[in-house]
Amino acid sequence: MTAGGYFGRALIVDVSTGTSDTMTLPDDVLRAYIGGAGLGAWLMHRLAPPRTDPLAPGAPLAYVFSPLVGTPLTTSAKFAVVAKSPLTGLLTDALASSHFAIAGKLTGYDAIVITGACPAPSALLIDENGPRLTTAADLTGLTAAQAAATLRERLGRGWRVAAIGPAGERGVRYATISHDGRHAGRGGLGAVLGAKNLKAIAVRAAAKVATADPDTVLAQARDLRARSFGPATAKYRELGTLANLLAFNAISTLPTRNFQAATFDGAPALAAEDLAAEDLADRDLAARDVEARDVEARDVMARDAMALRKVARHSCASCTIGCEHIYRARSGQTARVEYENVFALGPMCGVSDPDAVLAASARCDDLGLDTISAGGTIAWAMECAERGLIDAPWLRFGDAGALNRAITEIGTRTGLGDLLAEGSRRAAEQVGQGSEEFAPHVKGLELPGYEPRTLHAMALGLAVNTRGADHNRSGAYEADLSGDLDRLDGGAAHVAAAVETEDRAAVMDSLILCKFLRGVFNDPYTEWAGLLSAVTGWPVDGAELRRTARRIVLAKRVYNLREGWRPADDWLPGRLLAEPVRLASGREAELTPERLRAMIDGYYAARGLDEQGRPDEAQLADLRLS
Amino acid sequence: MPGSAGVVLAGGRSSRMGTPKAALEWHGSTLLRRTVGILARATGGPVVVVRAKDQELPALPADIQLIDDPREGKGPVQGLAAGLAALEDRAEVAFVSSTDMPFLHPAFVRRLLRAVHEGADVGLPVARGYPQPLAAAYKTSLAPLAERLVKEERLRPAFLFEQCVVSRLDEAALKDDPVLAALDPALDSVVNINEPDEYRTARSQPGPQITVHRFGVLAGGHRQPEAVRAATVAEAAAAVGIDFGSHHVTAALNGDQITRDGQIPLAAGDTVFFLSADAGG
Repeated sequence: MTAGGYFGRALIVDVSTGTSDTMTLPDDVLRAYIGGAGLGAWLMHRLAPPRTDPLAPGAPLAYVFSPLVGTPLTTSAKFAVVAKSPLTGLLTDALASSHFAIAGKLTGYDAIVITGACPAPSALLIDENGPRLTTAADLTGLTAAQAAATLRERLGRGWRVAAIGPAGERGVRYATISHDGRHAGRGGLGAVLGAKNLKAIAVRAAAKVATADPDTVLAQARDLRARSFGPATAKYRELGTLANLLAFNAISTLPTRNFQAATFDGAPALAAEDLAAEDLADRDLAARDVEARDVEARDVMARDAMALRKVARHSCASCTIGCEHIYRARSGQTARVEYENVFALGPMCGVSDPDAVLAASARCDDLGLDTISAGGTIAWAMECAERGLIDAPWLRFGDAGALNRAITEIGTRTGLGDLLAEGSRRAAEQVGQGSEEFAPHVKGLELPGYEPRTLHAMALGLAVNTRGADHNRSGAYEADLSGDLDRLDGGAAHVAAAVETEDRAAVMDSLILCKFLRGVFNDPYTEWAGLLSAVTGWPVDGAELRRTARRIVLAKRVYNLREGWRPADDWLPGRLLAEPVRLASGREAELTPERLRAMIDGYYAARGLDEQGRPDEAQLADLRLS
Repeated sequence: MPGSAGVVLAGGRSSRMGTPKAALEWHGSTLLRRTVGILARATGGPVVVVRAKDQELPALPADIQLIDDPREGKGPVQGLAAGLAALEDRAEVAFVSSTDMPFLHPAFVRRLLRAVHEGADVGLPVARGYPQPLAAAYKTSLAPLAERLVKEERLRPAFLFEQCVVSRLDEAALKDDPVLAALDPALDSVVNINEPDEYRTARSQPGPQITVHRFGVLAGGHRQPEAVRAATVAEAAAAVGIDFGSHHVTAALNGDQITRDGQIPLAAGDTVFFLSADAGG
């Protein structure tokens, strides 16, 4: 009998032929991997032919749900998209949120796997009538949001859509899959669907699934809801992650101009604390027209003018936190503002104009581009242009017009964009001339907004994570910023922290619960086990979930080993190990190759891997891959 | 400063004070805690506290090494010998301080350390009319010489100075350092307190002038830095209405280390950034 919260099966759809099949998901596998990223890793092991080009028809892509999806537990409406990344050539799982997760699961499957390639631009529909393809000729070239709206209008009530934008259609290697303004962003899974000629997947609920102990689940949901309004989530509710920007700037942790610096003079102009001053919304707008000769008064008015632009705060389905802060640029375009997109399109590219950054972010959303990879690749290109390594005199740090042009060219694969659409690793391989040393990626995935030289636990996490340079799957920055260890003296404590945070991330990404909720848990593994037990009926405890975490992390590593990962891939860009940065205190922050090597070796040992980062037979047997 | 460390001599009898000076309250902390913290900040290296055998001391950070004075009643040169010997294999230079200097500034400490790093055996301030051997920097390799002097019952620091290269910095030389001149213009660093009245007078002064920045949800509408008077991180937090005891708040002193330790001492010119502990993604 299938555990509560599960259907016990995956739908496999071959979009080449329009046929489908059902794959039974054994209970022991579900218990071993839970769902989301974990179950997705297992599915890729079982269904993805080794060494297949990620953009080939034979490469599968899975939407994976979890037992908590559809329950009243806050932040549980999430789904994972899992495939081999066209950017890294390794396993990637990208999470997104909201109604698609619930409707997708309630089509009657714990996962929906897509293989093959459609003969013509298509959308895949799944509801009580099963899976079928429909033409997407009228959706080609539309943004993901436009495509979703058009498709929903065509289909009628109850449908939820995840779609790709023009960038995905054109195979930009960091194209996203989007649902209702939320993005399965990293790793280019939008390009995988683009290669399958699949513009969108639309799902409509057709089934129900019960939890094992609904009364307990409800009680837990009420408790979790109450805790989600506490101080642990205040930042997300009140300012969003953009609150990181000024703080990171103050502690020399804000990557600037392609990691040439760790502080950005233009940061105050992009600060959440200024942009979010809703209390000024009622200020007399006419006052802005008063000419102020006094510089201080002018600055205040300028700040107030910027402060008038926050327009809304949204939340995903089933979420009580509401972390999405929507701003409007002077152009009228709105964009969801988060730390990563502002960092990547702002300081990373040397741009301090908030309107330009908002517009760039909105443009990335329209095209369907991962903002972190877009910003990182463009920043690399800006440096190449300034050094004369590429012929692009229009491309300079700090030039908002150049930023916008680069984004457009990437999304349309025109001009320089055709090269940049390949990502910074491939582009640097083509350009050569030493540009590889400052290409801001790990394993091909561009670095997020955390300066590794001033956050040594994060540095390790970025280097070893299976997805590439990934703050989210690692989470080690928490240790660096906790005050519990010296963020500039990476050693054993940092190794332990990187392992612990990576394990916790693996469980949260498989349960699935939003990581913005993590601070409300005092004894996370035990509490998570309680949630899982109530839903599934399994007598899960914290110790079991710790083993599950390790299994999931290892399963991803083993997949990558199969696909050609080498030990040298667990490393950081040359610049970060050769060029120290200076803190505001005057002290120099340095990450030497020797220190990084020692931490990586410590990580391998902590995970029971050999010196080459490989598991032993006992660990492999536990993965249940055969 | 690379290659630097600190020694705090806490073993004195405090006879004039009438109560152990190390444990005197100082803005929610203690004098010893403050001195240890200032040396830790200024040196970036290990800090040892030399105490009399079985002497009870107030709470200190776990990484502070306690050294028992091997001989009673031999004065500060004995403490100096013990402290320098404990650091000889870990640092080239150590700043040696008594525990009764509540206004000691990191800039003052660094100035003297620099004098030794630049070649002298001792960096000795001469301020307020007197040499200040218990607010001075010493090469740790002087430990055997100091030990020999103690055995010979030659217990005055002057005997040590006769046998090594001493860089004497008078007030003008000290204030030639623009950072020190700006942050401790009156050289209050050398003020020590020996009697209850002196303690009460010193304690009645407000804490040093520092700057507080608040970030994220802690900013609460305060977008500009705020000038406050505070002797510790916790005092700075209280001055701006932040509950530093909360699990969700951390501080970064001068944009450097992140800390949850409210007793970290502050000095004039410091900037404290208060951050949400859940900074990050």
